[in-house]
Amino acid sequence: MRTFGEVLITLGLVVLLFVVYELYVTNLMSAQLQRRASADLESQWEQGRQLHAEPLDGKAFARIYIPSFGADWNFTVQQGVDTATLEIGPGHYKETAMPGEPGNMGVAGHRVGKGAPFNDLDLLNSCDAVVIETADSFYVYRVLPMRDEVAGWAGGRAKDPQCANVAPLQDKQGAYADTFGRVIVTPDRGDAVAPVPYRPEDVLPKASQAALLTLTTCHPQFSDRERMIIHSVLTNQFQKAQGANYEDLLREIGEL
Amino acid sequence: MYGWIWRHLPGPLAVRVALAAVLVLGAVALLMFVVFPWAEPMLPFNDVSVEGQ
Repeated sequence: MRTFGEVLITLGLVVLLFVVYELYVTNLMSAQLQRRASADLESQWEQGRQLHAEPLDGKAFARIYIPSFGADWNFTVQQGVDTATLEIGPGHYKETAMPGEPGNMGVAGHRVGKGAPFNDLDLLNSCDAVVIETADSFYVYRVLPMRDEVAGWAGGRAKDPQCANVAPLQDKQGAYADTFGRVIVTPDRGDAVAPVPYRPEDVLPKASQAALLTLTTCHPQFSDRERMIIHSVLTNQFQKAQGANYEDLLREIGEL
Repeated sequence: MYGWIWRHLPGPLAVRVALAAVLVLGAVALLMFVVFPWAEPMLPFNDVSVEGQ
């Protein structure tokens, strides 16, 4: 009886330890990986190396910034969404568009543990900026109108200077009827990162596709029953001038 | 169980305490670096990507 009790107490401690592991230890491990990826990307850009037209699997090729999460919030974006890659930071769905291209650039990231890059994704509002930096450009995407904002957009949010280049996609083409700023879907909706979200690949020719950036993470927090999807649209694009950095960009787009 | 382990640790009290601490740390390290990373992908949370077209 006494041994049985001790085994139960031990199992309880192991479960507690697992919570500590999941919430803290994985963050430490991921922070280390992220630091290394960030330094690698930095030196690669500094040397202006363009050895590979296509990003290598599991290697950083871009950087993501979300100004509303703080001026110092940024992560490298790696190619691929497998477990090992997402431990480093957000990952790019390989088959989806590259930064700035028409179509849909899909990026997945953890919401709990593993550095939790997308921990606060639910706090994003329409018109909040999401910036992607590549070797030579900054691409500024802004979160699309939410489902309940679409109807009164022109008379409401549209007047906000942040929303200057944001409009509901619903106005333009029926193809984008389901593309809102935030959508909750089941995990099998791989078409959330399709060129036109939730539509077959060939619904629109590439030339008439909007340039979207889609972020995916787990939902509700601590569960993987569903996925939270954030859709944003390309509003500006800046060639990186000599010496220009992210802070200059923030001033330029009115976020600082 | 813990009583049995304690009785089988050799040496004076100080050595036993040190040995017990080493055993606990070893068990924790084994869990953190081997068991948890192995078990984690099988647990139903923290999948963040959408899949299947």
